[in-house]
Amino acid sequence: MQIDQARYHPWEGKLQSPWVACGAIVRVALMQVFRNKAYWFVLGLGALRFLAFWSIIYAVTQLTLPADVQKMFLREFGFSANGDAGGDNGFIEFILGQSVIVMILLAFSGSLLVGSDFRLKTLPFYLSRRIDKRHYIVGKLLAVSAVVSILTVVPALLLFLEYGLFTTSTDYWVDNWRIAVSVLTFGAVICVVNSILLVTISAYLQRIVPITITWASLFLLLGRLGDYLFRETQNNFWRLLDPWRDMRLVGQLCFGKFRREIDEELAWWAAGILVAICAVSLVALVHRVRAVDVVE
Amino acid sequence: MMHLVDIQHVSRSFGSVKALRDVNLSLLPGTIGLVGNNGAGKSTLLKVLLGLLTPDSGGGTILGCDIRHGSPQLRGRVGYMPEAAAIVPMLKGVEFVTFAGDLYGMPHRDARRRAHEVLNYVGLGELRYRRLEEYSTGNLQRLKLAAALVHDPQLLLLDEPTNGLDPAGRIAMLQLLEDLIAETGKSVFLCTHLLGDVEQLCQQIVVLDRGTVVRAGTMDEMRSQVSNRWELSWSGPNPPFRAALERVGVQFVDTQDDGQHRIMVVVPTGFRTTTFFELARAQGAVLTEIKADEENLERLFFRVTEQAAQAAML
Repeated sequence: MQIDQARYHPWEGKLQSPWVACGAIVRVALMQVFRNKAYWFVLGLGALRFLAFWSIIYAVTQLTLPADVQKMFLREFGFSANGDAGGDNGFIEFILGQSVIVMILLAFSGSLLVGSDFRLKTLPFYLSRRIDKRHYIVGKLLAVSAVVSILTVVPALLLFLEYGLFTTSTDYWVDNWRIAVSVLTFGAVICVVNSILLVTISAYLQRIVPITITWASLFLLLGRLGDYLFRETQNNFWRLLDPWRDMRLVGQLCFGKFRREIDEELAWWAAGILVAICAVSLVALVHRVRAVDVVE
Repeated sequence: MMHLVDIQHVSRSFGSVKALRDVNLSLLPGTIGLVGNNGAGKSTLLKVLLGLLTPDSGGGTILGCDIRHGSPQLRGRVGYMPEAAAIVPMLKGVEFVTFAGDLYGMPHRDARRRAHEVLNYVGLGELRYRRLEEYSTGNLQRLKLAAALVHDPQLLLLDEPTNGLDPAGRIAMLQLLEDLIAETGKSVFLCTHLLGDVEQLCQQIVVLDRGTVVRAGTMDEMRSQVSNRWELSWSGPNPPFRAALERVGVQFVDTQDDGQHRIMVVVPTGFRTTTFFELARAQGAVLTEIKADEENLERLFFRVTEQAAQAAML
C-alpha cells in the first residue's frame, strides 16, 4: 500500500495498568524461544525424559509386578532406591533430573531474552513506553520462569495428574495432595532462583558465549569445587557452594523428605544462601537496567 | 496557550561529564527541532523530557506533566522513536508494533488492530509479516515511527529519524513526517544534527552546544538573526577605508588582510548599502565589487555555536 493511500486514524481507548505489560513481555519471550529451532531440540530432550517417566508411571500403575521387581525397575530408570514413581521422591527425582536440560536451555536463552535488549539497545524501547524498570524486570523474570516451568513444574504436575488418573480410587488425591503443593513450591524456588541469576548474568554479559561459560561455571565448577573441598575437609557445608545442590536441598525441604539427617540442617542453610544470592543479584540487576548508557 | 515544554534550570551530569547545564526552555506546541553537534546533549535532553533520566537540578513540565514525577502518565501521551535499532529479535513487524502498544498499556486486541493501521500508514503494510532482521535501515526507521505512533500520542519525540538513510530514504522519511504533521497536527520534537531536516519540518528550533541552550525560538526569529553579510572589494587606500567602516558599526568577519583589498563584513540593522560608496569616496577608495552573502541556517548554526564556545573560553 502506498503512503498516500493510507489515512491516519486516531485511537481513543483507555490505557491499562503497566503491570499488564509484564504479560506481554512473557508472551513475546516465549514467542522468541519457540521460534528458534535449536531450542526445539533442547525442549525435545526435556520431553523425552517426561515421556520416559510417563511410561514408567503407566507401567507401575497398570502392570502387576512384585515389589522388589518394581523397585529394581524404578532404579533402572533413574529413581533413587527409596523412590516410587507417584511419591515425593519420584517428583524430586524428575524435577532435578531435568536440571541439565534446563541449564542448557537457560544458557542459550539468556542472550536472546535479555542480553539482546542490552546489546541491540532495545532497553530504551521498553523503558520509553509506559513501563519502568520494575515492570521490565518482573516481566523478564516471569519470562525465564515460564521457560523453566515448561520443563520442570508443568510436566511434574502432569505426571502427578497421570498417576492419579490411573488409580481407581480417590485415595491418591486425598493422601498426596501435598505433593502437588510441594511441586509448585519447589518449582517456584527453581524458577525464582534461576530467573534472577540468568537475567542478571545476561544483563551484564549479553552475548551467548560468555553467558554460557559463566552459567556452566556457576553450576558445574562450583559443584566440583564444593565436592573437592568436602572430600578434603569432610565438612558438609562446603557442598553448599553448588547452587543446584542448594536448590535440591530446598526442594527436599519443600517436600519434607530428606535422604540424610544432616540434609535438614543443610537445607535451611541452603535456603539462606539462595536468598542471599538472589538479593545480591537483584540489586546488581536493578543497577544495570537503565534507559541510558553512560558514555564518558 | 499552554506550553508544550516548560523547563527551568535543568542540569544533568554523568560522572564528571556535564551533559546538560542550566537548560531553560519554554516551547509552544508545534514542530520543534533540537539541533546540536554530537555530544551536545540532545539525546540526554530528550530522555530528561521523557522522564527516563531525572535531572540533577531544576525541573519543569512537558504536556503539563512534571518531568520528575509524572513519567508513566507522560509516556502514555508521548511517542518516542529511539536512534538505535532497538529491535526485538525473532519478531515480525506487526508483532513488534503490537508489542509496543502492549507496553504502552493498550488492550492487546486494540494494539494489534492499531499496529496494522499504523504500519499501513507509514508504508510498511506489505512488509508487516517480515522478520525484523530482514528490514532495511529505512524500513526500520519507519517501523520505529509506527511503534511510536501506535497509541496515538499527542507528542512525538524523534531521535535522529533520518540517521543512516540514503538520500532517497531521507527524502521519503521527511515527506512522511511532513504529511503526518500536516494531517494530525501532532507536536513533534525532532532531535537531529541535520539542519536541512529541521529547516524542512520545524517551526521552532533549539540549538544546544555542550549541554547549553545557545539559541531557542521560532524559525522566523532565527532567520531574522541571520546576519546581513557583504563581500567587498576595492582599490585604493586600505587602512583608512577599514577604519571608516568600523566607525559606522560594520564588523569584519574575515579580519585577515590578504593584501587584495577584499573582505567579508556584517553590517548593523538599518544599514544602507549606499553608505559603502559614500565611505569609499570619502577615503579615496573605489569599490570594485559588492556582493550580498546570505547566511543559511547551517552557517548560522556554526556561528552561534562558535560564539558560545568563545564565550565559554572567556
